[in-house]
Amino acid sequence: MSKKPTAGPALHKVIMVGSGGVGKSALTLQFMYDEFVEDYEPTKADSYRKKVVLDGEEVQIDILDTAGQEDYAAIRDNYFRSGEGFLCVFSITDDESFQATQEFREQILRVKNDESIPFLLVGNKCDLNDKRKVPLSECQSRAQQWAVPYVETSAKTRENVDKVFFDLMREIRSRKTEDSKATSGRAKDRCKKRRLKCTLL
Amino acid sequence: MDFDSPEEIQEFPGLYASEAADARSKKSKEESDFSEDHDHSKKDLLIGRRKDKKEKGKDRGYAALEGESSPEEELDTKSPSKSKKSKTFKFTSSKSKEKREKSRDKEKSERETKHVEEEPPGKEHKAKEKDRDKEKEKEKDREREEQKKKDKKEKGDKKDKAEKKDKKDKKSKQLSQQLDEAEAEEVLALGYPVFGVSVSLATERSRCHDGVDLPLVVRDCIDYLQDHLKCEQIYKIEPIKTRLMHYKRLYNNREHDAAVDELNLPTACSLLKLFLRELPEPVLTTDLVARFEEVASHPKVTEQQAELQQLLEQLPKCNRTLLAWVLLHFDAVIQQERYNKLNAQSLAMLLSPTLQMSHRLMVALLCHCNSLFADVKLIKYVPPLTSASPKLPDRPEEIQVELRKQDSLLAQIHSEMNAGFITKKREEQLWEVQRIITQLKRKLRTFEKKQEKSAEDVENSSMPRPAPEGEDRTDSKPPPAAPPVVAPATNSIPSEEPSNPSPTDFTIDPSTGFIVLPRSNPHRDTLLRLQIEYDELMDWENELKARILAERNECYRLKQLCEQQQALNSQAAATGTEPVPPAEGDYERIIEHYTRENALLEHKKQMLGMELKEERRACIALQVELRLKQF
Repeated sequence: MSKKPTAGPALHKVIMVGSGGVGKSALTLQFMYDEFVEDYEPTKADSYRKKVVLDGEEVQIDILDTAGQEDYAAIRDNYFRSGEGFLCVFSITDDESFQATQEFREQILRVKNDESIPFLLVGNKCDLNDKRKVPLSECQSRAQQWAVPYVETSAKTRENVDKVFFDLMREIRSRKTEDSKATSGRAKDRCKKRRLKCTLL
Repeated sequence: MDFDSPEEIQEFPGLYASEAADARSKKSKEESDFSEDHDHSKKDLLIGRRKDKKEKGKDRGYAALEGESSPEEELDTKSPSKSKKSKTFKFTSSKSKEKREKSRDKEKSERETKHVEEEPPGKEHKAKEKDRDKEKEKEKDREREEQKKKDKKEKGDKKDKAEKKDKKDKKSKQLSQQLDEAEAEEVLALGYPVFGVSVSLATERSRCHDGVDLPLVVRDCIDYLQDHLKCEQIYKIEPIKTRLMHYKRLYNNREHDAAVDELNLPTACSLLKLFLRELPEPVLTTDLVARFEEVASHPKVTEQQAELQQLLEQLPKCNRTLLAWVLLHFDAVIQQERYNKLNAQSLAMLLSPTLQMSHRLMVALLCHCNSLFADVKLIKYVPPLTSASPKLPDRPEEIQVELRKQDSLLAQIHSEMNAGFITKKREEQLWEVQRIITQLKRKLRTFEKKQEKSAEDVENSSMPRPAPEGEDRTDSKPPPAAPPVVAPATNSIPSEEPSNPSPTDFTIDPSTGFIVLPRSNPHRDTLLRLQIEYDELMDWENELKARILAERNECYRLKQLCEQQQALNSQAAATGTEPVPPAEGDYERIIEHYTRENALLEHKKQMLGMELKEERRACIALQVELRLKQF
């Protein structure tokens, strides 16, 4: 999606994806309200907005916390379509959640139709390093394969929580300026193509 | 890039046209099917959530934080797109074009008046008609003047903000004018119109989210008109055509914003009429309308009512609701005859063609409407909150009500998006609604926690301070910060309601999630009863749904069995009666026998079904009593 010439602070739309129970909501709530939720309550979908200062510039971040469960896949597409950047979360203590990231990545690419969409691979629960099931090297090689950054976080200790959101926002921002700079016909064509595809779907 | 910009649409007219056609022919069914499914799942989810809440009862992980940054920020970030949207107009008209349009308009209105005059004219009626013509002329003059003014302004100074109202008027006119220029018919950007489709589809596509199954446009018009019943102009004056079309377009594209686009009297009247007139079949349905007419000519008034009642029960639910609201509204109009000079006869004269029924039938319906629709009350619609709303509700009951509305709205947005109704604005709305829901849920959770804490405080009043449990320590906030939050809150509530002796307004039952008011509150029983009843009915609904599914499967199985049986039967009949060549009559008799038997069984089944329903209803009533006793 291209940037619109807004007068107010820029708005970046971030979507949390990943299997159930990996800590998407925990990361979000830690970032939003500095709180850590111990007990598990499945999310259907939740959305938050926060004003933050990104490299001296005041911006707004919209965070959409999605359901990890397949049951909500139908409504998930509607959100993916409007997302500008994605945090793909898994738990380093759960190999299956790591395997599932592949599928989430594919889903996002299918909806967004854009290989270079701002995207971060996030290994959560790094405070539980003694229970680690997914070796660091494996995570890094997958990130490399996708050409995306890999960050390990802990929603509990707040380690790297701000970092993942801010890194992603930076990517979104640079992506937007790139898009608006490319005012030539080529960029427009690309937009139109994308648009056409959407309607055909 | 704004995907929904009109220019974009004009670039691919074929694309949109085909979409629109699709929508009317094929997709409409799919869509409705889908959203039914969606509804279902939504309800399941709701229940799921409630259960979650129960489990969540002892959640202490959240700090009871107030003043989250989200709600306040929403205020000042209020949709830049919205304000932008209303200014997307490009001024393209020239004077000659305007003139052409004027004359076209005039022709149309003349045709219309002629058309009306052809219909049964009373003397009074004709006089009115003339009056109306005059008024129209006046209006046109006014319009022309405004047009001139506008032109001057456009040339002179665009930033002139002196006459806001004038400008608003102008804007809407400009918009609609632009539309008229683009196409004589209004452009349907998305192909899922609300006007000109069946009542059920219109209701589904533009819902009222408070549980009343009425198309939003009808609800808005009636709401507005109910506030202006004493106006003498009601149902007498025609609006400016372009303005009317502008509103039609807004509602068709679900872009209507009550805060910005306020209706006026002639527009509200005509918009309601337009909606009714454009229905593909009469509100009374093609199948039943003749029978209604028959009943209306019935000489005995008392029998008439019973028969009308019977027929009304056969109408689809949304048709009945629409009819009920419209008629009750009309009834309210004629109750104010003293002011608006309309009685049943004259109103029926004006509006029976719109409703596609005879004058006699409409008068009959008006005469009986209060007893026919005793169950319906005209309630003013309060739409779901938006981020522009001043603030979210504070009381848990209000939050629950608002949550239900928002959930309904969200479900509609999802189902529409899944059906292909995707615009940038829609997507923004999706996030916004989701955000409000999240806020509401958090608020509710905070309340529950406060409730628990205060209950705990009472329990442990002998102890100096409840020792923080293990869970609390995981909280990033230091434990001492929590109690001060609770204390002022509990103190502030009694100060608001000094007559209330209890420390809090209500409690939330931890096992059921019900809101329980203190005993002194007169609404306690009613609220409790309603909640329990709601719970029971939801259970019943789910049970019935499960059974319907089971029955469907059974149906399929039986069908197969039936086919086998039939084959066997004919085989047996063939082999068994081989020595004596069976007369054709034998088969016929067998068939007849079974048909009769089946009809009988069908009847019996229906009776039993009804009985079952009654029994269940009684059961629920008793269950409610029983559970009520527990509180």
